[in-house]
Amino acid sequence: MSWLNILRFPGRSGLGIVPIGVPIVMFIFISFASPNFLNVQNLSNVNAQIAALLIVALGQMIVAICGGIDLSVGSVLSLTSAIIVSVDPALAVPLALLAGLVVGVVNGVGVTIFAVHPLVMTLATLTFLQGLALLILPVPGGDVPDYLEAMVDFSFLGLPAAFFWCLVFATAAAVVLRSTRFGLRIFAVGANEDNAARNGVNVVLHRISSYVLCSFGGVMAGLFLSARVASADATMGAHYGLESVTAIALGGVLLAGGIGSVPGVIAGTIALGLMTNGMNLIGVSPFVRAAATGLLLLTAISLQPRKAIGA
Amino acid sequence: MAERTEANAQDRPGGPARPIVEFVDVTKRFGSTTALGNVSISGSSGTVHAVTGENGAGKSTLMNLLTGVHRLDGGEIRLRGKPVTLHSPKDARAHRISTIFQELTLLPNLTVAENMFLGREPRRMGLVNRPEMRRLAEKALARLGINIPPQTYCSALSVGEQQMVEIAKGIAADAEIFILDEPTAALNAPEVEKLAELIFTMKAEGKLIFYISHRLEEIFRFCDEVSVLKDGRHVATHPVAELDREKLVSLMVGRELGELFPQRVPQQDPQTMLSIKGLTTNPFPPKVSFELAKGEILGLAGLEGQGQRAIIRAIAGIDPPISGRVEKTGDDPAQPISVRPTIVAVSQAGIGFIPEDRKIEGLYLPLSIRQNMALGMLREQSLWRPARIKRDEIETLLAQMRVAHADPRQPVGALSGGNQQKVMIGRWLASGVNVLLVEEPTRGVDVGAKAEIYSLLREFSDAGGAVLITSSELTEVLGLCDRILVVREGALIAEFDGPAATEELVMNAALTGTHENQELEGAA
Repeated sequence: MSWLNILRFPGRSGLGIVPIGVPIVMFIFISFASPNFLNVQNLSNVNAQIAALLIVALGQMIVAICGGIDLSVGSVLSLTSAIIVSVDPALAVPLALLAGLVVGVVNGVGVTIFAVHPLVMTLATLTFLQGLALLILPVPGGDVPDYLEAMVDFSFLGLPAAFFWCLVFATAAAVVLRSTRFGLRIFAVGANEDNAARNGVNVVLHRISSYVLCSFGGVMAGLFLSARVASADATMGAHYGLESVTAIALGGVLLAGGIGSVPGVIAGTIALGLMTNGMNLIGVSPFVRAAATGLLLLTAISLQPRKAIGA
Repeated sequence: MAERTEANAQDRPGGPARPIVEFVDVTKRFGSTTALGNVSISGSSGTVHAVTGENGAGKSTLMNLLTGVHRLDGGEIRLRGKPVTLHSPKDARAHRISTIFQELTLLPNLTVAENMFLGREPRRMGLVNRPEMRRLAEKALARLGINIPPQTYCSALSVGEQQMVEIAKGIAADAEIFILDEPTAALNAPEVEKLAELIFTMKAEGKLIFYISHRLEEIFRFCDEVSVLKDGRHVATHPVAELDREKLVSLMVGRELGELFPQRVPQQDPQTMLSIKGLTTNPFPPKVSFELAKGEILGLAGLEGQGQRAIIRAIAGIDPPISGRVEKTGDDPAQPISVRPTIVAVSQAGIGFIPEDRKIEGLYLPLSIRQNMALGMLREQSLWRPARIKRDEIETLLAQMRVAHADPRQPVGALSGGNQQKVMIGRWLASGVNVLLVEEPTRGVDVGAKAEIYSLLREFSDAGGAVLITSSELTEVLGLCDRILVVREGALIAEFDGPAATEELVMNAALTGTHENQELEGAA
């Protein structure tokens, strides 16, 4: 299937003119508007800026395909940051992952077994975890373990570490979606959970797993971001919940479930990253930027159908 | 024929070969109600076994025991002679049972091959083996002679094609027992023909097919044996060849076919209530003109998809016509008044519309019966007046219509199809309209409730109303209507007097009529 055919028959990828076109148009626009945009230093800077968002957005995509939404992932990022500077360096990563697992399971169980609406459920965990993170680390600072800093501070073949982080997680997410049973089945669950169940898919298990994977995304982004700035901050992830939702919505992931793809999420994340970077370069206030993100989310969602495709 | 006697012999224990599925004294209770009591039915390979009965007779419950959706409360199910317990749809599949639910279960965002193997995807080194999946899907589709590429997304398939894929899914899973639940409910005529071919192919492959349906034509056409359930009891199992229509219906309802339809009273001096002038609808160019008289039930008949639906929806203002006028004769000044084709204007003119899909377009399923009815009564009220629900009136109306309900506060969604349809009709009765436009008045309604709906419509017309129906069930049009207009390619091509019309006459017109006679109809 050629590239053009994908545009015409997007299948369940959600790719179309908007997800692919928006970052391209932005790229062209900014390279004309700002002379500094196209130099290598700036592009590698953009890459580093969006790496954490991409990792979070890939997790968000998995939850969204499965028909859910996870606002709490930003707090997971913050909590991770707080944890890794507050415990023994050897335990930092395992503990952060454990926290991610617990949060994912709690979110998943709340949504599936106790039938709490995902927005409400994850809003509750968002608030709770933000409080917890601030309790652990009231003041930003601390020493990020050296091995983590080493993992984000290298370059290979002239490419920055952030690029490889993106590559690893994007590839992993693509393999999960494309080639695992889990990947296929979350599309089924997102389209119509009753029918998925009739075909022998364990809906509850898949839903919970999707929240766990999303939380892991938050943990990984937290490790990356803390290591990159070489300091922890318990409010580091505050914007990531909504920004990841904006990024996937821009990338053609249907928030009602059942449609989405890794290339789309990459495109959506780049679009959002370019907007930030472009505004920085042109010298627009960061508050305008926040307002623009909100508008962008509304626009992206307005272009989407509200109903799951199999309902 | 030999096969059938053999199947009968197998029903007796100790016969030459055992049937593949046996329900032995099966009992299923929901709370205090017994949905199935001591039902014993068996089916053998290579036969099509109809399971029929009114809605609520227990046929779905019986089949859901076999699909693993429900658990037994008593008795046992034997597969190939051995008792089994089925806990889940997965268990059923492991026992080579495949169910084609009435509401198809294919996911639109998965390809044909992915849908066919969802839940049991072939793997290689832990990952989904897509080439193998495609190959197996192709093989199963080819075995049934179905020409659909396995890489097609199911959202691109018609309902009929989706059903074929469901059947191929069972074949790919190497199922021996197929349950088809009302398989023709959403199919058009050519698709039914394809289904017929598939059923015969499956039979030739030695599959057992349980065919759940209350469409008599299909039972006689497709099935070898028929088991009739009534109120959760097994009434009888007969080879289809030993039965005729009347016998089967009387087994199902304990009444004869003739009693299904109310008496027609010839109108002395027909007075026009609704006249349709030069209506054209998308995508049908012919101009349609006819009149609907007071006290009349008029039927639009024809093959499915010939424009009956477009005409009735144009009059109702749902899909406004491209050109043409609808005039309604008022009561007080008996003058024809033009009705604008919008939903609000049409209902203000006293014309009610009952859509084919009452669950989506008609009723508010989660709201109570009372609220659904009250919405009709409150129709004319200003938005800001307090909405007083006239409970007594509603209770009386519900009792008159014999809506089987526990409580008027019950959600409408909990009622059976027949009772929902009665509430739908009741809503318009409560609002005092005098013309009803009814699409498929008894779709998804069991035989017993059908008779009651027919008599409701007849009472409505006898009381000075007029009814226009479209129906794909010819028996219904013939039995109920005073006058029948046959539609073909959007044009009226024949008109028959209800009592004089026969199935042959109407079918002939529907199949072979041409546009040329339409002017004649316009004048009639």
